[in-house]
Amino acid sequence: MAQKSNFRIIINRLRQNKRAWFAMWIIVALAFFALLADFISPYHYDEQNRTKSYHPPTAIHFVDAEGRFHLRPFVYNYSLVDPVFKRYEPDTKKIYPIYFFVKGDGRLRLFGTDEPSRLFLLGSDLHGRDLFTRLLYGGRISLSISLLGVFVSFILGLLMGGIAGYFGGKIDNILMRLGEVIMAVPGIYLLLALRAIFPVTLSSAQVYLLIILIMSFIGWAGLARVIRGMVLSIKEYDFVTAAKAIGSGHMRVIVRHILPNTLSYTIIAMTLSVPGYIIGEAALSFLSLGIQEPYPSWGNMLSAAQSIRVLTNAPWILIPGIFISITIICFNLLGDGLRDAFDPKATGGVEIK
Amino acid sequence: MRGFKWVITLLLLSGVLIGISCTQKKDEKKTVVQDSEPKYGGSLVIDVISDPKSFNPVIAKETSTTAVTGYIFEGLTQMNPFTTEIEPHLAKSWEFSKDGKTWIFYLRDDVKWSDGKPFTADDVVFTFNQLYYNKTIPADARDILTIEGKEIKVEKVDNLTVRFILPKPFAPLLFSMGFDILPMHVLEPVVKAGKFNSHWGVNTPPEQIVGTGPFLLSEYVPSQRVILKKNPDYWKKDKKINRLPYLDSIVMLIVPDQNSSLLKFQAGETDMLSMRREDYVVLKPQEAKGNFTIYNAGPTLSTTFLIFNQNPKKIQEHKWKWFTNQRFRQAIAHAIDKETMINNVMFGFAFSQDAAMTPTAKFFHNPNVRKYEYSLEKAKKILLEAGFNYKSGILHDKDGNPVEFTILTNAENNERVNIGNIIRADLQKLGMKVNLQPIQFNTLVTRLDSTSDWEGVIIGLTGGIEPHNGKNVWYSSGQLHMWYPKQQKPATAWEAEIDKLFDEGASELDSEKRKKLYLKWQEIVAEQAPVIYTVTPAALYSVRNNVGGIKQTSLAGVIPYIEEIYKK
Amino acid sequence: MTNYILRRLFHMIPLLLGVTVLSFAIMKLAPGDFLTQMALNPQIAPETIELIRRQFGLDQPWYVQYWKWLIGILQFDFGYSFTYRVPVSALILERVGNTLILSIGAAFISWAAALPLGVYSALYQNTRFDRIASFFSFTTISVPSFFLSLLGIFIAAKTGWFPTGGAVSANYSSLDMFGKLFDRLHHLILPVLVLGFIGTGSLVRQMRSNFLEVMRQPYATTARAKGLPEHIVIWKHIFPNAVNPLITLLGFEIASLLSGAALTEIVFSWPGLGRLILEAVMSYDLYLVMGSLFMGTILLIMGNLISDILLAFMDPRIKLG
Repeated sequence: MAQKSNFRIIINRLRQNKRAWFAMWIIVALAFFALLADFISPYHYDEQNRTKSYHPPTAIHFVDAEGRFHLRPFVYNYSLVDPVFKRYEPDTKKIYPIYFFVKGDGRLRLFGTDEPSRLFLLGSDLHGRDLFTRLLYGGRISLSISLLGVFVSFILGLLMGGIAGYFGGKIDNILMRLGEVIMAVPGIYLLLALRAIFPVTLSSAQVYLLIILIMSFIGWAGLARVIRGMVLSIKEYDFVTAAKAIGSGHMRVIVRHILPNTLSYTIIAMTLSVPGYIIGEAALSFLSLGIQEPYPSWGNMLSAAQSIRVLTNAPWILIPGIFISITIICFNLLGDGLRDAFDPKATGGVEIK
Repeated sequence: MRGFKWVITLLLLSGVLIGISCTQKKDEKKTVVQDSEPKYGGSLVIDVISDPKSFNPVIAKETSTTAVTGYIFEGLTQMNPFTTEIEPHLAKSWEFSKDGKTWIFYLRDDVKWSDGKPFTADDVVFTFNQLYYNKTIPADARDILTIEGKEIKVEKVDNLTVRFILPKPFAPLLFSMGFDILPMHVLEPVVKAGKFNSHWGVNTPPEQIVGTGPFLLSEYVPSQRVILKKNPDYWKKDKKINRLPYLDSIVMLIVPDQNSSLLKFQAGETDMLSMRREDYVVLKPQEAKGNFTIYNAGPTLSTTFLIFNQNPKKIQEHKWKWFTNQRFRQAIAHAIDKETMINNVMFGFAFSQDAAMTPTAKFFHNPNVRKYEYSLEKAKKILLEAGFNYKSGILHDKDGNPVEFTILTNAENNERVNIGNIIRADLQKLGMKVNLQPIQFNTLVTRLDSTSDWEGVIIGLTGGIEPHNGKNVWYSSGQLHMWYPKQQKPATAWEAEIDKLFDEGASELDSEKRKKLYLKWQEIVAEQAPVIYTVTPAALYSVRNNVGGIKQTSLAGVIPYIEEIYKK
Repeated sequence: MTNYILRRLFHMIPLLLGVTVLSFAIMKLAPGDFLTQMALNPQIAPETIELIRRQFGLDQPWYVQYWKWLIGILQFDFGYSFTYRVPVSALILERVGNTLILSIGAAFISWAAALPLGVYSALYQNTRFDRIASFFSFTTISVPSFFLSLLGIFIAAKTGWFPTGGAVSANYSSLDMFGKLFDRLHHLILPVLVLGFIGTGSLVRQMRSNFLEVMRQPYATTARAKGLPEHIVIWKHIFPNAVNPLITLLGFEIASLLSGAALTEIVFSWPGLGRLILEAVMSYDLYLVMGSLFMGTILLIMGNLISDILLAFMDPRIKLG
């Protein structure tokens, strides 16, 4: 139940931490790009260009083959000259100007060129699909899956930890032992084994939800432990006793009076646990057990890079890995900054997994 | 079936093993490698994907195991890797009675087990009667050696002669005589004690594994390497009557996947590599510097295809009507963009597959079956003729149901997922709503095998040289008759005809007449398109130039006979 | 102390039971089993598969299977691996050494890098050095291990400086003693570097904050006030107290590497426990999964226990009891 002024103080402190502030804006920008993928991406994420497989990033020109300067940037159309080595050669006789705010696929897009030329900002994949487009749509899935995963597991963790700490006794014992069991199994194996339980034909939306649920099932335990500890001490405070005295129900006391006092810890811990979920999704999809084709996620895009042929001849396929790393760095920086902002005296670390 | 079986695990996790064998069609100039005189000594270093799981060839199910035992044990016959004909091996000759029911095999008299004991008819009788026909031993061979539910009677005539009495004439018998023969004097006590199934596990001391093959087990370090050393008493000799093999040893490095195989070869740690298509781009520019040669050995036995569920009552009735409609399947066959699959998925190294037997099978391959060229217009035309119609761009059937279905494939196999992606995109252009769903291999198999709740599936099988071994797939009551398995009686006239062709084919001893039966079968399959074929990959090999005895074969990759390989 | 250890060990029992029940239930809930993969082989009859299923006891209800497994565990019989057809215990023993070498090597690297980095970051707080070190630690925390391993392999393939995977070379058995040692080390470098790199960041950050905290303590001020030279204050008084809390991490680290190293082991084809479990999970090798998770859990709990005991030794203020 942080007051408004408190909130402003925290924002101000965060703003003074330039790194965290910057990281926050990168996250916002990434989320913004992912949200507006329909507008920013020049193509549909599933548009196959069968004669443009593993096409390198398209060069953008201002000066044409005859040396004339064009104010409007343009690209050439490339044709495949060697299907084995995927070598492409431009046809410099015709230029394809880049237009902004074009209509394509029945909707407005930020930029585009005329058919049959393609503008691949970051190259294309095996099916000749635009990597830039897929990166944006993939970000949509990877970011939302990890944010939702964190959200669900924290609701679970808060409730479990709250209930365990508040009631104590048998409930506490059962919940905490359950948590310990889950934490005792190394995460990646639990993730894989749990994924294997649900292979019934699932629609993509169901797979998406499933990944969130599995990660939450694994993730709640750690938080519940800490929250329980905090609740144990908070429940002794006067305002809790007072709330109980005026006859508030148990759940109401937990949710309305006790848990809000763990808010600052929760916010920090949530921010710092996003990376774990991003890696979780990426690892599952990397091992082909997560988000499935034709839908892109950063993890399944990276799984194409497992082949040496791709690594050496189409290194742009690695770009999703760089995006995963950047996103995680930003969340770690932001979480770190938030911790300092909430408690400027504390310098100790919350363990990052 | 002895000889060098070069096998790769297409995908370790899926457990789908694909034996690469090759016919030699293109790159004629490369076939004859001018070799220097063979020389003794040296070792050949190759890689094998994943650990051998045992050294017991009878119960072995994995290629990582048979890749090792293939050197140690031998069969009565073996297949000529160039012609795919059956030739003598531990048996030097054979004859059969007019009715085709009695076969007599004469064994070589110069074969010794690696512990010094002579190889005799007792070993053959023991191997068949007490191992392959032993109900407590899970031997794959038993299923192939069982003719309409009856066993072959195997008897000793004298020390070097064995008689096989068949319940009825069985044309593929010679092919089946390639199964490994094991030593009776070592294994009989083990079988009697009921311990055969766990015998010769990976922790067995190497000298206890007794075989007749050109190489013997010398060392096994889990997850790292298997070392085989030369069998000094091997019976086979070269043209100059020098005892084979030439090599002192074979070192098999155990790698987890094909990326590691590639890296090991690039690092100069191995002498030979069974390449993936995608590796060509990496290796071709290094050919001269790395002192190796790349061989393209033509199409493999591996197939990838699309099937639709024709099992009644397991899927919605209107969908079942589409899938059992020959015209519908033919339309879809016209929507398979094989050229894109070859260029983009297979990196140019694949062949369009039209007939049920791939060209590798040589003798039984039918090159004249109906071919479906890629043409969405043709597909559309066929669909319209068959009563389908378009409503605002979406394909509907006669009864007004929109055409919508799910295609499953196994997620672990990237090539299949990519092929599925291309098919899905094309079918969508035909106005169908297609959902491609890569799922785990185990689940996929459960659905195909027992629950039958699927609509379309993209999957692959490794074909063979002997069509009869595919009976399980093509016979209407077959377990692997995937579009409608285990039928009580044939559901359609054409399936009944295929059943008949397979029955006749098994007992027809005249090979030309037999061939005609199987060519007919391939025509029916192409016409009915229950199985819609895509592409079959090419077998590519990289071999260091200091390895001698390399020849391109139909079946055994570039190593026709391992005992004739030598180091220059 | 003995009392405390005994009590902790006693507490392990329900936890271990819970872990085994959980993992058994998960394995059993998944559709199909190890033998399902064989069903698609045209040359294996269903009867053969049934025969194998009976031999492995897979045709019995799950609680019977679990009970048999549990009884076996009490007699130190971990069962047989379906894929390898050898006792699970032999497989685990074989692999656990490799994983330990990797973990210890990685821990050594990250500690050796993290301690000085942490101390100097604290000493030169808010300088450029601190900021760079801090950014470095954020990077190491943030890069996914499989991505870094892929990059490592890529470098190995491009430069040829390092072997591209595995634990030893092909000609290992023919090398002499020193050759063998060198060969092993050579194969160890890249995976250890990758894992060590990943582990460095959080240690640097902990070390830095611990150090800052201790620097503010009265006894540090007192030491300075007494006129002791700065380096003595730093290394004799502050450093030991700042390292103490980190010792608790040692135990955790070994255990968490078990999980974290799995993907690295896969990419580097390192014959360790992580890869073994991962493959076992994927191929439904029931008893191998059970056995290795059981061992993994024991490692984790022992790690925690060792941490606590170490801490008690280092810090007299903490009493175990």
